[in-house]
Amino acid sequence: MLPARSAERAAVAGHGASDPGGCAPPGSPAIHTIELSKRYRSTVALAGLSMTVARGEVFGFLGPNGAGKTTAVKLLLGLARPTGGEAMVLGAPAGDLQTRRQIGYLPELFRFQSWLTAREVLVLHCRLMRMARPGWAAAADESLHVVGLDGRGDDKVGTFSKGMQQRLGLGVALLGEPALVVLDEPTSALDPVGRHHVRVIIRELRDRGTTVFLNTHLLEEAEHVCDRVTIINKGRSLATGTLAELKVRRPSARLRVTGLPGGWWRRLANFGRWSEQGDWLLVEEMAAGRVPELVAAIVALGGRVEAVIPEQQSLEESFLKLLGET
Amino acid sequence: MNAVLTIASLTLREAVRRRLVAAFAVISVVLVGASGWAFYKLSHGGAFTSGETNVALPQAVVLFMFMFSFVVALSASAVGSLAVSSEIDSGVLQTVVARPVRRSEVLLGKWLGLAGLLGAYTAIVSGLQVAVVYWTSGFVEPDPAAAAALVFGEGVVLLTFVLLLSTRLSALAAGVIGIALFGLAWLAGVGGTLATAFNIHALHTANEVSQYLLPTNGLWQGAIYYLEPSSFVTQQLAASPVGQGDPFLALAAPPWQYLAWAGIWLAGVLALGLVSFERREL
Repeated sequence: MLPARSAERAAVAGHGASDPGGCAPPGSPAIHTIELSKRYRSTVALAGLSMTVARGEVFGFLGPNGAGKTTAVKLLLGLARPTGGEAMVLGAPAGDLQTRRQIGYLPELFRFQSWLTAREVLVLHCRLMRMARPGWAAAADESLHVVGLDGRGDDKVGTFSKGMQQRLGLGVALLGEPALVVLDEPTSALDPVGRHHVRVIIRELRDRGTTVFLNTHLLEEAEHVCDRVTIINKGRSLATGTLAELKVRRPSARLRVTGLPGGWWRRLANFGRWSEQGDWLLVEEMAAGRVPELVAAIVALGGRVEAVIPEQQSLEESFLKLLGET
Repeated sequence: MNAVLTIASLTLREAVRRRLVAAFAVISVVLVGASGWAFYKLSHGGAFTSGETNVALPQAVVLFMFMFSFVVALSASAVGSLAVSSEIDSGVLQTVVARPVRRSEVLLGKWLGLAGLLGAYTAIVSGLQVAVVYWTSGFVEPDPAAAAALVFGEGVVLLTFVLLLSTRLSALAAGVIGIALFGLAWLAGVGGTLATAFNIHALHTANEVSQYLLPTNGLWQGAIYYLEPSSFVTQQLAASPVGQGDPFLALAAPPWQYLAWAGIWLAGVLALGLVSFERREL
């Protein structure tokens, strides 16, 4: 459970109490890119990415391996320089030194100094963030608690499993109550319990107004927590929208029915497109909310409905369709 | 400046926690202990006359400091090569440079921490060596502090150069190139002293150029001068004019212009390293 944000806590953390959202002009999006591109010699890693992430939303950045996701994240954080386009983060050019005080970042591939304890790693980052000294111990203890590493604060990072290191990385990213948290594959090394815990943290961050930029190739993670997503491939954005908008196909239903008379499909054609899959009947492109009406129509024809499973196209199906893999 | 000091203290803490300081301590005990035993035998072994002992002691001191300067150079190259490139490869630097710190502050902090470590190591071992030599033989070098400072300067020059390489090359490449160039500079110095003795102009030029390109051997030559009594130098030259070709004999103190150049070189290479790391893409 994330602690409530307060002016007093912000003051102890070394940020101005009147500046809870960072040093950016109010109302500016958290992230805004215009034709952002990156070329490494002959390789185009990013071919003109344009996107806007509003403040306070959980934004999913999805794509297959090699799509340019991590390259885009590095450009946003100033770890690499773009070869074209521009990017603004919290109202300032990407990589701005002062803006980085308001950003928490969990890289995909990272290590902490194995000879430091978890608490020492957190205190180190408090120092690098120029947090006021009185707040270091409390901030470190809070982070350890939030990510479930209570009692491990004095253990050397070198003794941590990969999952524990990822939790610590998340704790480091959450230090100082940043306005923007960039998570690059935050659950890749976590077990199901850990993944659930991270989802809870992300939802709590959204509830307190923090913007979360979630870079992941695990579509189910995006389906659980994201408000909007963009799907990129080969350095370009293919689609952006809410999850509902991206799942463009109409709902369908899968039924197991016996006793239907011959030619039944002509009588039920108005519900959608029918096909058979083994013992199951599948109706596609059915308007939402018509399942009860369909069941009643089947019963009226003399059929016995033994099972009904309403279905909606998953994000994965939309994803694969956009990539041209279906 | 806070970030620089944070990284510097982190670097020193790493040296302690990862037992680098312990390794230095063990090496120091072995070096100083072995040399103490050797100096004692040289002074009290009974096999030499007092005149022979007076000739042998300064040379033994120079030989010890030469060996020690090599340890300092190897250490500088090793810690310098690992400081940046290995942390980039392992991902340790990713989280650090994403914070509101300039990359130049990170590199400067590492340089400061490592230079401080080398300085402390040089000072402690040099001080112990002076004490051991005096205790076993009664011999005191003309200016051991100046000699130690120049050996430290030699180490810092190599550390700074290898740090620059480390911002672009792998740890292995940076370390190997550093040590190889250190060795070449020393060889050029040997060539230079032979050139003086046998009047070989090309070798002399090669030595001059190498001393300015990588000032390590020039600083080492300066350290030699402060370890040898002037009477010893005079005696060696009188015994054989070709003694000028002795790579462990220095005829004059390093000119202030050369020391100034070494300082400018150091600042320039450090600045180049800061710029290189600032522009490095991670």
